[in-house]
Amino acid sequence: MTAPTLPGPAALSLQPVSRQRFGFLRELLRRPSGLFGVIILAIFTLLALVPDLLVGPLQTAVTATGPRLGPPSIEFPLGTDELGRSILNLTVHATRISMVIGLLATFITVAIGAVLGIVSGYVGGRFDALLMRIADFFLVLPTFVLAIILTAIIRDAIGTGSREIGGIRLSLLVIVVVIGITSWSSAARIIRSQTLSLKERAFVDRARVIGASSSHIMRRHILPNVVNLIVANAVLTFAGAILTETTLSFVGLGDPFQPSWGQLLEAARSTGAPGLGAWWYFVPAGASVVLVVFAFTLLGNALDDILNPKLAGRR
Amino acid sequence: MSLRYLARRLMTAAITVFLIVVLNFVLFRMMPGSPERILLGRTPNVSGEVIQATRERWGLDKPLFPDQFVAYLASTVQGDLGFSFGGGSRGRPVTDVLLQRLGPTLLLFGLGEVLAIILGLALGAYSGWRRGGILDHVGNGLSLVLYSTPYFLLGMGLLIVFATGLGWFPTFGISTVGQSYAGPLDQLGDMAWHLALPLATVALGLVGQYSILMRSSIVETLSEDYVTTARAKGLTEGRVLRSHALPNALLPTVTLIAINLGYVVAGAITVEVVFNWPGLGTLTVNALSSRDYPVLQGVFLLLSVGVVLANLIADLMYGFLDPRVRT
Amino acid sequence: MTTLSAAEIRGRRQWPLPKLADPTAPLLEVRDLKTHFRLERGWVRAVDGVSFSLADGEALGLAGESGCGKTTTALSLVRLLPSNGRIRGGSVELFGIDLVPKSERAMLRYRWREISIVFQGAMNALNPVTRVADQIAEPIRQRLGQSDKTSKRRAAELLDLVGIPRKRLGAYPHELSGGMRQRAMIAMALACDPAIVIGDEPTTALDVMVQAQILLLLEQLRRDLGLSLILITHDLSVIAETCDRVLVMYAGRVAEEGPVDRVFREPRHPYTQKLLGAFPNIHADRRTLEVIPGQPPDLVDPPVGCRFAARCPFVMPVCTEVDPPEVRLEDGVRVACHLFPPSGDAA
Repeated sequence: MTAPTLPGPAALSLQPVSRQRFGFLRELLRRPSGLFGVIILAIFTLLALVPDLLVGPLQTAVTATGPRLGPPSIEFPLGTDELGRSILNLTVHATRISMVIGLLATFITVAIGAVLGIVSGYVGGRFDALLMRIADFFLVLPTFVLAIILTAIIRDAIGTGSREIGGIRLSLLVIVVVIGITSWSSAARIIRSQTLSLKERAFVDRARVIGASSSHIMRRHILPNVVNLIVANAVLTFAGAILTETTLSFVGLGDPFQPSWGQLLEAARSTGAPGLGAWWYFVPAGASVVLVVFAFTLLGNALDDILNPKLAGRR
Repeated sequence: MSLRYLARRLMTAAITVFLIVVLNFVLFRMMPGSPERILLGRTPNVSGEVIQATRERWGLDKPLFPDQFVAYLASTVQGDLGFSFGGGSRGRPVTDVLLQRLGPTLLLFGLGEVLAIILGLALGAYSGWRRGGILDHVGNGLSLVLYSTPYFLLGMGLLIVFATGLGWFPTFGISTVGQSYAGPLDQLGDMAWHLALPLATVALGLVGQYSILMRSSIVETLSEDYVTTARAKGLTEGRVLRSHALPNALLPTVTLIAINLGYVVAGAITVEVVFNWPGLGTLTVNALSSRDYPVLQGVFLLLSVGVVLANLIADLMYGFLDPRVRT
Repeated sequence: MTTLSAAEIRGRRQWPLPKLADPTAPLLEVRDLKTHFRLERGWVRAVDGVSFSLADGEALGLAGESGCGKTTTALSLVRLLPSNGRIRGGSVELFGIDLVPKSERAMLRYRWREISIVFQGAMNALNPVTRVADQIAEPIRQRLGQSDKTSKRRAAELLDLVGIPRKRLGAYPHELSGGMRQRAMIAMALACDPAIVIGDEPTTALDVMVQAQILLLLEQLRRDLGLSLILITHDLSVIAETCDRVLVMYAGRVAEEGPVDRVFREPRHPYTQKLLGAFPNIHADRRTLEVIPGQPPDLVDPPVGCRFAARCPFVMPVCTEVDPPEVRLEDGVRVACHLFPPSGDAA
């Protein structure tokens, strides 16, 4: 046993986080689940980045050239929909929509969760108790039905029309916000409990003793130490957000002008594709959803294992 | 079980239900835009009378608090949730519409949950016990894939294979349209035939999650000291699992399954849409497309209260299973 | 101390010896035991060539820093190892029967009926959702084939024996204090009337008063029942009070072994001396291990020679080149240190 080395003043701002920031990437790629996740992520990111280069612009009822509900052929490798549009074209373009919505929703969810989790854990007391009660409430609530109602109400209230912000239609942005406000609670809970244990650690005490303000401590001392947790949580949240968006679109809250995978699935169902045996209509979009959610769940679990060694060995 | 534990749980459930009611009120009154417009949704051709009736009924010209809130609370407690504005059920009391749809949903999800819990717990316990074995790897992968699949997608897959393709099962509904039955048994058989695919979808959709939950719980339990004690006693592995690991591993699983219910049930309502099952799920989607807000509000309230009740039951079960919370 | 043969033990035992038992063999004879753990970077040699014996009615203390392999040594006797642990050499002979080559199934016969373990009952060693009395009755019913009624009655008697009041018979673990739980754990270990009881830190995590009571109970049971005891502890004073012999381990090997009064009065191995803090009169004050500078070696790739060399104040060139042989001295103390060469002349 060696005596603990006392940190100099520089260590106060530097913190124990410095555990090989990038070593974990190699560690991640060494695991089959991590490697699989990264490959899937790369493929779908590529599809989302340059859909026009790969399959041309998004086809509409006007630009459609194929037969109605045609099965896969050489010209249309994944068949066509009821308007004669290429399913391949639609699915690749939907990748971009689904991934962007998933990403934005994840960002909002994790941002709310992180801020509330850190503040709640650090401030403690009644504020903490109240916030955690609310988080519990959201955990129990059928949040999906709440999300349906919220999306519908907000759209009716602000009248989304065909407005766009940053190339994304307002109706889809409403979905993003709704996913954010209905799914922050588990992230907040996890980050709060980590904050609670960090709060007791010596370096936070030292910072407090030398007179750092609460907000400074939260930003400079707590946040860097929960980043790992936030990253792992964000990856899992992304999987959940894709699922939620898909389901919301499926019940009719998607936007036909910017179709996501869920919107395609809804179109397939309302056309009666399963009953007509038109498997090509929903299998590509469905497989994309399953693949991405599966890969991100594996990736999130692998990251959790690597970045939070406390949990290692449980899986 | 101690009275205090019981009282505390009942209290929590009551508060949660109250908060849900408040949330419901707030959602529809505090949004921008006129409340009439939101309450009536985008329903086309609403007559002036209906608007006037709505305004009077909810006291929309009175202050939000306390008048409107008290009126809302009073009618909710009496089971009066207003009238439907939607297509098929226009003008009928929301409560009636909900009750009519409750039966098929309870049947589908009650059975689906039971099936999924039995299968999921068994599969999870086995693969956790044989950690690293072939069945563990296969089961774990399969569970994750099932978990990653939206319920409705699973339903569409089963539908196209077993109904459209093989023709073993009907493609929609709860009974054959226009069929006359020889007797009640015949009718029941027809319903079971219609139930098979949606039920399989719900059960399969849930089984993955439950198996993952149970597996991690068993793995954690197997590393506990009391399991080492049981092994030191020279008990067979089967007995160690049955009488020491399982009873403990079930505890967190019960709670997690109950907490997940809100997430799961609401997401699984989409299965009804795929199979045109006449339950709350199809009702929700229909109400959504016609912006029938009173019905949506009612579905939310009903499902929330259902989930809270299920959680209450789980809590009581927990108290029964775990002696530590009894005292 | 007198050494009873297995034949004499038979007279006192309630249950017959295993069929293959050699009536003339000593109770327990461990030779050159090697228990290793598989890790990604290689085998951790947690126990690496440990030999000792235990006579009937004797109490042996296993001492050493945490991680020195004392618990692994004890758990290896009944092969109660984590899934990555393996016995890779040596023998464990109980009544002359070697347990190492036994199949996992055959091993069940020896657990608890022949060798039982008192875990830290104060912690989590009792199943939280089962009544304590039922947990004590379980091995009686399952292992000895007794009826439900008989095993319950015997469980009640055992609880009586360890001083738990009758009215607590229906209690769950969380309803008992730490000391009570430890007593219940002891009662459970006695359930099948085993040949050997292993105590794995049985008094750790208890407060001092309760520790004293538990030690008193163990003493009493040893006297009354003629228990053979292996006591694992990092608290040397517990060994001084309870045991006949002590075995000091360092980094998976035996450093020194011998009668308690000899070893504690005149520690030979520099590690034992460090452990005892160079105070010869251990009986006078209660002490736990004091911190020794430096760290034990990496057991995946242990250094050549004596494993204590890096921390030893008396280190000589030979220490880092040759493994010190174990030498039995005149007063019965066995020591593995180059300060005591095999010729017998203590330096």
